[in-house]
Amino acid sequence: MGNEYSTEEFYKETYEEFDFDILTTGLTSKVPITVPDIHRPAFALTGFMENYLYQRIQIIGETELLYLRSLSPKQQKEAIQRLFTKPLPCIIITKGLEVPNDLISLAEEHAVPVIRTPLSTTPFIHSLTGHLETVFAPRATTHGSLVDVYGVGLLFMGKSGIGKSEIALDLVERGHRLVADDVVEITRHGDVLIGRGQEHLRHFMEIRGLGIINVMDVFGIRAGRIQKRIEVVVQLEVWDPKRDWDRLGLDEHYMEILGVNVRQLIIPVYPGKNITVISEAIALNHMLKVYGIDAAKRLDKQLVDMMESDKKTRRYLKYDTE
Amino acid sequence: MECLFNTFSQMVTGTVKVLNENGIHLRLAGELVKAASRFESRITIASDEQQVDAKSILGVAGLGAEFGVELLIQATGNDENEALAFLKQLFENKFAIKDD
Repeated sequence: MGNEYSTEEFYKETYEEFDFDILTTGLTSKVPITVPDIHRPAFALTGFMENYLYQRIQIIGETELLYLRSLSPKQQKEAIQRLFTKPLPCIIITKGLEVPNDLISLAEEHAVPVIRTPLSTTPFIHSLTGHLETVFAPRATTHGSLVDVYGVGLLFMGKSGIGKSEIALDLVERGHRLVADDVVEITRHGDVLIGRGQEHLRHFMEIRGLGIINVMDVFGIRAGRIQKRIEVVVQLEVWDPKRDWDRLGLDEHYMEILGVNVRQLIIPVYPGKNITVISEAIALNHMLKVYGIDAAKRLDKQLVDMMESDKKTRRYLKYDTE
Repeated sequence: MECLFNTFSQMVTGTVKVLNENGIHLRLAGELVKAASRFESRITIASDEQQVDAKSILGVAGLGAEFGVELLIQATGNDENEALAFLKQLFENKFAIKDD
């Protein structure tokens, strides 16, 4: 989904959860919902129009309605008219409250849908924000295979035909779990990337020479999962003896996905090489790093320490001509 | 939808229309992938909603491209022009196989 979310779509996805009823005749709005935030227009009703965040969904709760009810009919209409000086995506009334007729008729006039939920304002705003944040989460689709290996999400990437699916199949056979093969949908939640397969392709794989299989049918329920955090990108590349491959693992490489840096390892592939075992080692090593244990750095430290102490011994013995 | 491999610096592009009445079902997706795989270039194919690798069967099938839908093909590589021309022809000839 892009960053345009129509009020119709919003209603269709949420009316069951929020038990909405529509107070206007239609749901068509001149402007779509474009941001995951909400706004309570109490100040706009009173006439303070600065910082009126009209692009957001407007929530009218008990306070706003009590204020409106305290006004004379003329003042009330003027207050409501202020809301409609800008194009609004929609207005939501909470707690199942009754609304002034002028609000509905002016909303009709300006083509702003008004819907109502029986939920109380604060819990409703919490659930609504949760829903909108999922909808507006940054997302991308990529070509690769995502496998949960010992609880670490490994995203295999590389040119088509390099063997991503075969590695994924091999890992599933060894007890790991497939999330998505070929097409991975990624969403960003904070600094966490969540990958999942497309719903209608879920757990299908294409294995060259064999064709299409479904890993859940072949290996059972343990072989798949619906979504997984992406923690390491395993980039598969054709072995090239002239290329500088990382032999140490002292420096970490990162790949940027949706603005989040993910650890990336470039693994050379050639016939007879067992990528599956390497993948398991990658996952386990990643967990060790999460726990603060880094083999390459430790070896480096041991070497430096050893040389340091050798130097001391040599210095001691240098002029020792006994 | 944003896409990770949307970043070719040089490429050729063209639009095609699905003329097969049943849309791009699995068999046609297979034909398309077979055709795309004959070329060295990186080729992607995109609907309004998503962009996929033209050499991936599940990717192409996952587009769920119905009859009449327009798709955007992008190719980059040594044989990008040949690849684009070939794929365009494939769509125009309704994949040259009888729609079942």
